[in-house]
Amino acid sequence: MTMPSEGTVEKELLDFLHVRTKTVWEEDTDLFAAGGLSSLFAMELVVHLEKSYGIAIRGADLRLDNFRTVTGMAALVRRLRAAAGDGGE
Amino acid sequence: MSEPLAEATASVTGLVGDRAGDWDRSGLLPVELLRKLGAAGQLCTGVPTEYGGLGWDSRTSGEFTAHVGSLCSSLRSVMTSQGMAAWTVERLGDEAQRRALLPRLTSGELAAVGFSESQAGSDLSGIDTRITVDGDTVVVDGHKVWMTAAHYADLLIVFGRMGDGAAAVVVPARAPGVHVQRVADPLGCRAAGHAEVRLDSVRLPADSVLGGEGLSLPLLVTTALAYGRMSVAWGCVGILRACLAATTRHAASREQFGQPLARHQLVAKHLADLFVAEQVASRACEHASHRWDNGSPDMVVATILAKHVSAGHAARGAASAVQVMASAGAQDGHPVARAYRDAKLMEIIEGSNEMCELLLAQHALTSVEPT
Repeated sequence: MTMPSEGTVEKELLDFLHVRTKTVWEEDTDLFAAGGLSSLFAMELVVHLEKSYGIAIRGADLRLDNFRTVTGMAALVRRLRAAAGDGGE
Repeated sequence: MSEPLAEATASVTGLVGDRAGDWDRSGLLPVELLRKLGAAGQLCTGVPTEYGGLGWDSRTSGEFTAHVGSLCSSLRSVMTSQGMAAWTVERLGDEAQRRALLPRLTSGELAAVGFSESQAGSDLSGIDTRITVDGDTVVVDGHKVWMTAAHYADLLIVFGRMGDGAAAVVVPARAPGVHVQRVADPLGCRAAGHAEVRLDSVRLPADSVLGGEGLSLPLLVTTALAYGRMSVAWGCVGILRACLAATTRHAASREQFGQPLARHQLVAKHLADLFVAEQVASRACEHASHRWDNGSPDMVVATILAKHVSAGHAARGAASAVQVMASAGAQDGHPVARAYRDAKLMEIIEGSNEMCELLLAQHALTSVEPT
């Protein structure tokens, strides 16, 4: 499985957020800060990341900090994809 | 209908037989029935085959849940609890925990999941149960209320605070310090084994905590409840199917004023409403299950929509069914009398009507074009 190049995940996530929320977000904006998005939306993000990048986000990775910013989500995606790659894909 | 689903459906129909009314009146399900269904993997059909489960998709599991719900909502509630427990282990646990726990949940052991407390119902941010690390053990203190199936359960999955965040911990029901007391005379799903669970300094190995500490409470609860909501939604489809079947049979055969009830237009209106309710709830559940099976992000909202639509239709539909059946159905234990009480609880459990409406409104608002 090829790794998305640096910045691709970020761009795709910003597009997803824009389509879904009709709002333009920055890579380092806290999505869940006051007036931001809900925990329901956090779960949508979990499912979106799993589906789009073929990863499983389980147990210890279900902390809100992993989903707080686009930068954080992109880092999570790259880490889990690298780990899956080590598993012999 | 796939062959495994058809077999499971026929099997559970035979096992329940005509006993659901007796279970409703006595407030108890036969434990050997639960263990038998559990050992066949039929209480949590979504567990992947690699962990000993049937590995059914959401749509197939949903149809099975609806069928069980049409027979006995208490049994369906136990399925919802077992399924939610398995889903919680699958999502929150690590690989070792999945390997250790999921095969137990598909081989006859029974499980329940605890969220609510006396001061934390719809507002789960008020959860006060504490999971404290002490060396290589954890100590659990808390008091859960209305924990469905806890009366029968071998394993209790309890949500609580841990460190700066939250966690779910797997508590053996027989561990020292665990006290389970059945809720007396619940309004509906009377045999589902609802219980209060008191946890007094329950000491457990540290690996009883699923996934680890510091997780987000809203995210954990949203994740676990998503499964429960889907299961309740399909269970409500079952309630509507049972009501439609009983009511049409009765209205076609009973005569008043010289013709069958169904020929009286005001009665026919009730039948039409019940048919619409069953169809609408089915479509909402099929849509949501399709989203689950495709891993689509809008499964989250589709699930709440399905739960809300199905519970509301079930409550109104069951009331219509009692109205049409009248004295023929107005006795505890009768399918429509059970449906009437069971469906009302479905408007409360796993997110009340009002909580679902707030979530749906919130969802609608997140996709507003800025002005």
